[in-house]
Amino acid sequence: MTTHTKTNLDGVHSDVKVVEKPTKERSHDLFLRFLGLSLTLVATILVGVDNQTKVISYAEMKFRATAKWEYMSAMVFFVVSNAIACSYAAASLVITVMARSSGTRKSDFTDLVITALDLVLMALLFSANGAACAVGLIAQKGNKHLQWMKVCDVFDTYCRHMTAALVLSIIGSSVFLLLVLHSVLKLHYRSRS
Amino acid sequence: MASTDIEYKSTSTPPPPAGLDYFIVDVILRFLLLAASVVALGVIVSSDQTELVLFQGTLVPQPAKFQHSPAFVYFVAAFSVSGLYALVSALASVAVIQKPEFKLKFLLNFIFWDTLILGIIASATGAAGTVAYIGLKGNSHMGWIKVCNVYDKFCRHLAGSIAVALFGSIVTVLLIWLSAFTIHSRIPK
Repeated sequence: MTTHTKTNLDGVHSDVKVVEKPTKERSHDLFLRFLGLSLTLVATILVGVDNQTKVISYAEMKFRATAKWEYMSAMVFFVVSNAIACSYAAASLVITVMARSSGTRKSDFTDLVITALDLVLMALLFSANGAACAVGLIAQKGNKHLQWMKVCDVFDTYCRHMTAALVLSIIGSSVFLLLVLHSVLKLHYRSRS
Repeated sequence: MASTDIEYKSTSTPPPPAGLDYFIVDVILRFLLLAASVVALGVIVSSDQTELVLFQGTLVPQPAKFQHSPAFVYFVAAFSVSGLYALVSALASVAVIQKPEFKLKFLLNFIFWDTLILGIIASATGAAGTVAYIGLKGNSHMGWIKVCNVYDKFCRHLAGSIAVALFGSIVTVLLIWLSAFTIHSRIPK
Protein backbone atom coordinates (compact mmCIF):
# COMPACT_ATOMS: atom_id res chain seq x y z
CA MET A 1 0.00 0.00 0.00
CA THR A 2 1.46 3.37 -0.94
CA THR A 3 0.38 6.81 0.11
CA HIS A 4 0.10 9.61 -2.41
CA THR A 5 -0.74 13.18 -1.67
CA LYS A 6 -3.36 14.44 -4.02
CA THR A 7 -4.11 18.08 -4.57
CA ASN A 8 -7.60 18.92 -5.66
CA LEU A 9 -8.47 21.88 -7.82
CA ASP A 10 -9.43 24.06 -4.87
CA GLY A 11 -6.09 23.49 -3.17
CA VAL A 12 -7.22 21.00 -0.54
CA HIS A 13 -4.68 18.34 0.16
CA SER A 14 -5.96 14.89 0.78
CA ASP A 15 -4.07 11.75 1.39
CA VAL A 16 -5.03 9.01 -0.96
CA LYS A 17 -4.09 5.48 -0.15
CA VAL A 18 -3.52 3.44 -3.25
CA VAL A 19 -3.83 -0.28 -2.79
CA GLU A 20 -1.71 -1.93 -5.40
CA LYS A 21 -2.44 -5.45 -6.47
CA PRO A 22 0.70 -7.59 -6.21
CA THR A 23 0.77 -8.01 -9.93
CA LYS A 24 -1.68 -7.87 -12.76
CA GLU A 25 -3.38 -11.08 -13.75
CA ARG A 26 -1.76 -12.31 -16.91
CA SER A 27 -3.95 -14.01 -19.44
CA HIS A 28 -1.37 -15.37 -21.82
CA ASP A 29 -2.63 -18.88 -21.34
CA LEU A 30 -5.23 -18.55 -24.09
CA PHE A 31 -2.45 -17.76 -26.54
CA LEU A 32 -0.35 -20.63 -25.19
CA ARG A 33 -3.24 -23.05 -25.49
CA PHE A 34 -3.89 -22.01 -29.05
CA LEU A 35 -0.21 -22.40 -29.89
CA GLY A 36 -0.13 -25.88 -28.34
CA LEU A 37 -3.30 -26.80 -30.20
CA SER A 38 -1.92 -25.76 -33.56
CA LEU A 39 1.49 -27.40 -33.07
CA THR A 40 0.12 -30.76 -32.00
CA LEU A 41 -2.51 -30.60 -34.74
CA VAL A 42 0.14 -30.09 -37.41
CA ALA A 43 2.31 -32.87 -35.95
CA THR A 44 -0.62 -35.31 -35.89
CA ILE A 45 -1.69 -34.56 -39.44
CA LEU A 46 1.87 -34.70 -40.74
CA VAL A 47 2.53 -38.13 -39.29
CA GLY A 48 -0.95 -39.50 -39.95
CA VAL A 49 -1.08 -38.66 -43.61
CA ASP A 50 2.48 -39.14 -44.69
CA ASN A 51 3.63 -42.34 -46.34
CA GLN A 52 6.30 -43.38 -48.77
CA THR A 53 6.50 -46.43 -51.00
CA LYS A 54 9.72 -47.67 -52.48
CA VAL A 55 10.60 -50.62 -54.66
CA ILE A 56 13.49 -52.47 -53.07
CA SER A 57 15.48 -54.90 -55.11
CA TYR A 58 17.22 -57.49 -53.01
CA ALA A 59 18.97 -60.49 -54.53
CA GLU A 60 17.12 -60.28 -57.84
CA MET A 61 13.74 -59.97 -56.14
CA LYS A 62 11.78 -56.77 -56.23
CA PHE A 63 9.21 -55.97 -53.62
CA ARG A 64 7.45 -52.81 -52.61
CA ALA A 65 7.94 -51.55 -49.10
CA THR A 66 5.75 -48.88 -47.58
CA ALA A 67 6.54 -46.70 -44.61
CA LYS A 68 3.45 -45.63 -42.71
CA TRP A 69 2.74 -44.71 -39.14
CA GLU A 70 0.65 -47.81 -38.51
CA TYR A 71 3.61 -50.07 -39.00
CA MET A 72 5.47 -48.90 -35.91
CA SER A 73 3.99 -48.94 -32.43
CA ALA A 74 5.98 -45.90 -31.29
CA MET A 75 4.47 -43.84 -34.11
CA VAL A 76 0.99 -45.06 -33.18
CA PHE A 77 1.66 -43.85 -29.62
CA PHE A 78 2.95 -40.54 -31.02
CA VAL A 79 -0.09 -39.92 -33.22
CA VAL A 80 -2.60 -40.93 -30.55
CA SER A 81 -0.98 -38.82 -27.87
CA ASN A 82 -0.69 -35.75 -30.11
CA ALA A 83 -4.34 -36.16 -31.10
CA ILE A 84 -5.36 -36.35 -27.43
CA ALA A 85 -3.26 -33.27 -26.63
CA CYS A 86 -4.78 -31.35 -29.55
CA SER A 87 -8.37 -32.11 -28.58
CA TYR A 88 -7.61 -31.41 -24.91
CA ALA A 89 -6.10 -28.03 -25.84
CA ALA A 90 -9.26 -27.17 -27.78
CA ALA A 91 -11.56 -28.28 -24.96
CA SER A 92 -9.58 -26.51 -22.26
CA LEU A 93 -9.49 -23.34 -24.37
CA VAL A 94 -13.29 -23.33 -24.45
CA ILE A 95 -13.59 -24.19 -20.74
CA THR A 96 -11.09 -21.53 -19.69
CA VAL A 97 -12.86 -18.83 -21.67
CA MET A 98 -16.23 -19.86 -20.22
CA ALA A 99 -14.91 -20.05 -16.66
CA ARG A 100 -13.16 -16.73 -16.87
CA SER A 101 -16.33 -14.96 -17.99
CA SER A 102 -18.42 -16.48 -15.22
CA GLY A 103 -16.59 -15.09 -12.22
CA THR A 104 -13.65 -15.78 -9.97
CA ARG A 105 -15.06 -18.04 -7.27
CA LYS A 106 -16.08 -20.96 -9.42
CA SER A 107 -13.21 -20.47 -11.82
CA ASP A 108 -10.67 -21.22 -9.07
CA PHE A 109 -11.63 -24.87 -8.88
CA THR A 110 -11.90 -25.14 -12.67
CA ASP A 111 -8.41 -23.67 -12.99
CA LEU A 112 -7.05 -26.20 -10.52
CA VAL A 113 -8.57 -29.12 -12.45
CA ILE A 114 -7.32 -27.73 -15.75
CA THR A 115 -3.83 -27.35 -14.27
CA ALA A 116 -3.84 -30.96 -13.08
CA LEU A 117 -4.97 -32.22 -16.49
CA ASP A 118 -2.40 -30.00 -18.23
CA LEU A 119 0.26 -31.73 -16.20
CA VAL A 120 -0.86 -35.22 -17.15
CA LEU A 121 -1.07 -34.29 -20.82
CA MET A 122 2.36 -32.70 -20.68
CA ALA A 123 3.86 -35.90 -19.25
CA LEU A 124 2.10 -38.00 -21.90
CA LEU A 125 3.31 -35.75 -24.68
CA PHE A 126 6.90 -35.77 -23.41
CA SER A 127 6.84 -39.54 -23.21
CA ALA A 128 5.50 -39.84 -26.77
CA ASN A 129 8.24 -37.50 -27.97
CA GLY A 130 10.89 -39.60 -26.26
CA ALA A 131 9.48 -42.76 -27.84
CA ALA A 132 9.35 -41.29 -31.37
CA CYS A 133 12.83 -39.87 -30.95
CA ALA A 134 14.26 -43.23 -29.85
CA VAL A 135 12.64 -45.07 -32.76
CA GLY A 136 13.76 -42.39 -35.19
CA LEU A 137 17.31 -42.71 -33.91
CA ILE A 138 17.29 -46.47 -34.50
CA ALA A 139 15.84 -45.92 -37.99
CA GLN A 140 18.47 -43.30 -38.75
CA LYS A 141 21.58 -44.96 -37.38
CA GLY A 142 20.70 -48.61 -36.97
CA ASN A 143 21.91 -50.64 -34.02
CA LYS A 144 24.59 -53.14 -34.91
CA HIS A 145 24.68 -54.75 -31.49
CA LEU A 146 21.07 -55.78 -31.79
CA GLN A 147 21.26 -56.34 -35.57
CA TRP A 148 18.69 -53.67 -36.43
CA MET A 149 19.44 -52.12 -39.80
CA LYS A 150 18.89 -48.48 -40.55
CA VAL A 151 16.00 -47.72 -42.87
CA CYS A 152 16.35 -43.97 -43.38
CA ASP A 153 18.69 -44.36 -46.33
CA VAL A 154 15.80 -45.98 -48.20
CA PHE A 155 12.90 -43.86 -46.94
CA ASP A 156 14.64 -40.52 -46.91
CA THR A 157 11.72 -38.09 -47.37
CA TYR A 158 9.64 -40.04 -44.86
CA CYS A 159 12.41 -39.74 -42.28
CA ARG A 160 12.71 -36.02 -42.91
CA HIS A 161 8.98 -35.52 -42.45
CA MET A 162 9.05 -37.53 -39.25
CA THR A 163 11.90 -35.41 -37.93
CA ALA A 164 9.94 -32.24 -38.67
CA ALA A 165 6.84 -33.61 -36.93
CA LEU A 166 8.95 -34.60 -33.92
CA VAL A 167 10.46 -31.12 -33.64
CA LEU A 168 6.98 -29.58 -33.82
CA SER A 169 5.75 -31.93 -31.14
CA ILE A 170 8.71 -31.12 -28.89
CA ILE A 171 7.94 -27.42 -29.20
CA GLY A 172 4.28 -28.20 -28.50
CA SER A 173 5.12 -30.12 -25.35
CA SER A 174 7.31 -27.31 -24.08
CA VAL A 175 4.31 -25.01 -24.68
CA PHE A 176 2.32 -27.36 -22.41
CA LEU A 177 5.13 -27.11 -19.84
CA LEU A 178 4.91 -23.31 -19.97
CA LEU A 179 1.14 -23.61 -19.56
CA VAL A 180 1.53 -25.62 -16.36
CA LEU A 181 4.01 -23.11 -14.95
CA HIS A 182 1.77 -20.23 -15.96
CA SER A 183 -1.27 -21.79 -14.29
CA VAL A 184 0.66 -22.43 -11.09
CA LEU A 185 1.95 -18.86 -11.04
CA LYS A 186 -1.58 -17.58 -11.56
CA LEU A 187 -2.82 -19.66 -8.61
CA HIS A 188 0.04 -18.33 -6.53
CA TYR A 189 -0.71 -14.70 -7.34
CA ARG A 190 -4.36 -15.25 -6.64
CA SER A 191 -3.55 -16.72 -3.26
CA ARG A 192 -1.40 -13.72 -2.38
CA SER A 193 -3.92 -11.05 -3.30
CA MET B 1 4.47 -35.21 14.88
CA ALA B 2 0.88 -34.17 15.31
CA SER B 3 -0.73 -32.55 12.34
CA THR B 4 -1.01 -28.82 12.80
CA ASP B 5 -2.21 -25.91 10.78
CA ILE B 6 0.41 -23.97 8.91
CA GLU B 7 1.50 -20.98 10.99
CA TYR B 8 3.25 -17.88 9.80
CA LYS B 9 5.70 -16.18 12.08
CA SER B 10 5.96 -12.89 10.16
CA THR B 11 3.58 -10.16 11.18
CA SER B 12 3.65 -7.95 8.09
CA THR B 13 1.44 -10.17 5.90
CA PRO B 14 -1.91 -11.37 7.14
CA PRO B 15 -1.94 -15.06 8.06
CA PRO B 16 -3.24 -17.23 5.22
CA PRO B 17 -6.24 -19.48 5.74
CA ALA B 18 -5.46 -22.86 7.19
CA GLY B 19 -3.83 -25.01 4.54
CA LEU B 20 -3.14 -28.70 4.70
CA ASP B 21 -0.29 -30.23 6.57
CA TYR B 22 1.18 -31.27 3.31
CA PHE B 23 4.90 -31.34 3.92
CA ILE B 24 4.78 -34.75 5.60
CA VAL B 25 3.14 -36.30 2.54
CA ASP B 26 5.54 -34.33 0.37
CA VAL B 27 8.58 -35.79 2.17
CA ILE B 28 7.17 -39.32 1.89
CA LEU B 29 6.52 -38.91 -1.83
CA ARG B 30 9.98 -37.52 -2.42
CA PHE B 31 11.62 -40.42 -0.64
CA LEU B 32 9.45 -42.74 -2.76
CA LEU B 33 10.75 -41.00 -5.87
CA LEU B 34 14.31 -41.41 -4.61
CA ALA B 35 13.72 -45.10 -3.97
CA ALA B 36 12.13 -45.59 -7.41
CA SER B 37 15.03 -43.84 -9.16
CA VAL B 38 17.66 -45.85 -7.30
CA VAL B 39 15.86 -49.15 -7.95
CA ALA B 40 15.36 -48.37 -11.64
CA LEU B 41 19.04 -47.48 -11.98
CA GLY B 42 20.26 -50.51 -10.11
CA VAL B 43 18.13 -52.93 -12.08
CA ILE B 44 19.08 -51.61 -15.48
CA VAL B 45 22.78 -51.29 -14.73
CA SER B 46 22.96 -54.91 -13.59
CA SER B 47 21.25 -56.25 -16.69
CA ASP B 48 24.25 -57.46 -18.70
CA GLN B 49 23.88 -60.85 -20.29
CA THR B 50 26.06 -62.83 -22.67
CA GLU B 51 24.56 -65.55 -24.83
CA LEU B 52 25.80 -67.85 -27.56
CA VAL B 53 24.36 -66.56 -30.81
CA LEU B 54 24.59 -68.00 -34.29
CA PHE B 55 26.56 -65.39 -36.19
CA GLN B 56 27.82 -66.06 -39.72
CA GLY B 57 27.79 -69.80 -39.30
CA THR B 58 29.48 -70.15 -35.91
CA LEU B 59 28.28 -69.81 -32.36
CA VAL B 60 29.88 -66.76 -30.78
CA PRO B 61 29.14 -65.28 -27.36
CA GLN B 62 27.49 -61.91 -27.85
CA PRO B 63 26.87 -59.60 -24.89
CA ALA B 64 23.79 -57.46 -24.41
CA LYS B 65 24.40 -54.41 -22.27
CA PHE B 66 22.37 -51.30 -21.66
CA GLN B 67 25.11 -49.17 -23.27
CA HIS B 68 24.30 -50.70 -26.64
CA SER B 69 21.29 -48.49 -27.15
CA PRO B 70 21.32 -44.71 -26.73
CA ALA B 71 17.76 -44.81 -25.38
CA PHE B 72 18.91 -46.86 -22.38
CA VAL B 73 21.92 -44.58 -21.83
CA TYR B 74 19.53 -41.62 -21.75
CA PHE B 75 17.33 -43.57 -19.32
CA VAL B 76 20.24 -44.10 -16.94
CA ALA B 77 21.31 -40.44 -17.18
CA ALA B 78 17.77 -39.14 -16.63
CA PHE B 79 17.20 -41.29 -13.57
CA SER B 80 20.55 -40.36 -12.10
CA VAL B 81 19.49 -36.71 -12.32
CA SER B 82 16.09 -37.58 -10.88
CA GLY B 83 17.57 -39.53 -7.97
CA LEU B 84 19.92 -36.69 -7.09
CA TYR B 85 17.09 -34.16 -7.34
CA ALA B 86 14.80 -36.32 -5.19
CA LEU B 87 17.46 -36.59 -2.50
CA VAL B 88 18.19 -32.84 -2.43
CA SER B 89 14.53 -31.86 -2.45
CA ALA B 90 13.57 -34.44 0.20
CA LEU B 91 16.23 -33.03 2.50
CA ALA B 92 15.07 -29.49 1.72
CA SER B 93 11.48 -30.49 2.47
CA VAL B 94 12.52 -32.02 5.80
CA ALA B 95 14.37 -28.80 6.65
CA VAL B 96 11.30 -26.71 5.78
CA ILE B 97 9.25 -28.64 8.34
CA GLN B 98 11.61 -27.34 11.00
CA LYS B 99 11.39 -23.74 9.79
CA PRO B 100 7.86 -23.07 8.55
CA GLU B 101 8.48 -19.51 7.41
CA PHE B 102 10.15 -20.65 4.17
CA LYS B 103 7.22 -22.76 3.10
CA LEU B 104 5.81 -20.56 0.38
CA LYS B 105 9.12 -19.93 -1.35
CA PHE B 106 9.92 -23.62 -1.30
CA LEU B 107 6.51 -24.48 -2.68
CA LEU B 108 7.04 -22.46 -5.84
CA ASN B 109 10.59 -23.70 -6.33
CA PHE B 110 9.49 -27.30 -5.84
CA ILE B 111 6.76 -27.04 -8.43
CA PHE B 112 9.09 -25.55 -11.04
CA TRP B 113 11.84 -28.14 -10.66
CA ASP B 114 9.35 -30.98 -10.23
CA THR B 115 7.77 -30.12 -13.57
CA LEU B 116 11.13 -30.11 -15.34
CA ILE B 117 12.11 -33.42 -13.78
CA LEU B 118 8.73 -34.88 -14.76
CA GLY B 119 9.39 -33.95 -18.38
CA ILE B 120 12.83 -35.59 -18.32
CA ILE B 121 11.60 -38.73 -16.57
CA ALA B 122 8.55 -39.15 -18.79
CA SER B 123 10.58 -38.88 -21.98
CA ALA B 124 13.20 -41.31 -20.63
CA THR B 125 10.50 -43.84 -19.74
CA GLY B 126 8.92 -43.48 -23.17
CA ALA B 127 12.21 -43.89 -25.01
CA ALA B 128 13.38 -46.92 -23.04
CA GLY B 129 9.92 -48.46 -23.14
CA THR B 130 9.63 -48.25 -26.89
CA VAL B 131 13.08 -49.70 -27.57
CA ALA B 132 12.36 -52.53 -25.13
CA TYR B 133 9.02 -53.15 -26.86
CA ILE B 134 10.76 -53.43 -30.23
CA GLY B 135 13.20 -55.85 -28.64
CA LEU B 136 10.28 -57.86 -27.30
CA LYS B 137 8.09 -58.07 -30.37
CA GLY B 138 10.37 -57.13 -33.26
CA ASN B 139 9.13 -55.14 -36.23
CA SER B 140 8.63 -57.11 -39.41
CA HIS B 141 8.00 -54.04 -41.57
CA MET B 142 11.39 -52.57 -40.76
CA GLY B 143 13.21 -55.87 -40.63
CA TRP B 144 14.10 -55.58 -36.93
CA ILE B 145 14.21 -58.96 -35.23
CA LYS B 146 13.13 -59.55 -31.67
CA VAL B 147 15.90 -60.30 -29.25
CA CYS B 148 14.04 -61.10 -26.04
CA ASN B 149 13.69 -64.77 -26.82
CA VAL B 150 17.47 -65.04 -26.66
CA TYR B 151 18.35 -62.50 -23.98
CA ASP B 152 15.72 -63.30 -21.36
CA LYS B 153 17.43 -61.95 -18.23
CA PHE B 154 18.27 -58.68 -20.05
CA CYS B 155 14.66 -58.20 -21.08
CA ARG B 156 13.35 -59.07 -17.61
CA HIS B 157 15.61 -56.46 -16.04
CA LEU B 158 14.54 -53.89 -18.61
CA ALA B 159 10.87 -54.61 -17.99
CA GLY B 160 11.27 -54.26 -14.23
CA SER B 161 13.28 -51.08 -14.54
CA ILE B 162 10.76 -49.45 -16.88
CA ALA B 163 7.85 -50.45 -14.62
CA VAL B 164 9.56 -48.83 -11.63
CA ALA B 165 10.29 -45.77 -13.79
CA LEU B 166 6.61 -45.50 -14.65
CA PHE B 167 5.80 -45.63 -10.94
CA GLY B 168 8.37 -42.89 -10.34
CA SER B 169 6.78 -40.60 -12.92
CA ILE B 170 3.32 -41.17 -11.37
CA VAL B 171 4.82 -40.20 -8.00
CA THR B 172 6.17 -36.99 -9.56
CA VAL B 173 2.73 -36.18 -10.98
CA LEU B 174 1.24 -36.70 -7.51
CA LEU B 175 3.87 -34.41 -6.00
CA ILE B 176 3.00 -31.58 -8.38
CA TRP B 177 -0.73 -32.13 -7.81
CA LEU B 178 -0.11 -31.88 -4.06
CA SER B 179 1.84 -28.63 -4.38
CA ALA B 180 -0.76 -27.09 -6.71
CA PHE B 181 -3.57 -28.10 -4.36
CA THR B 182 -1.74 -26.56 -1.41
CA ILE B 183 -1.32 -23.28 -3.24
CA HIS B 184 -5.00 -23.41 -4.22
CA SER B 185 -6.10 -23.99 -0.63
CA ARG B 186 -4.37 -20.79 0.42
CA ILE B 187 -6.62 -18.68 -1.79
CA PRO B 188 -8.66 -16.51 0.57
CA LYS B 189 -12.34 -17.16 0.28
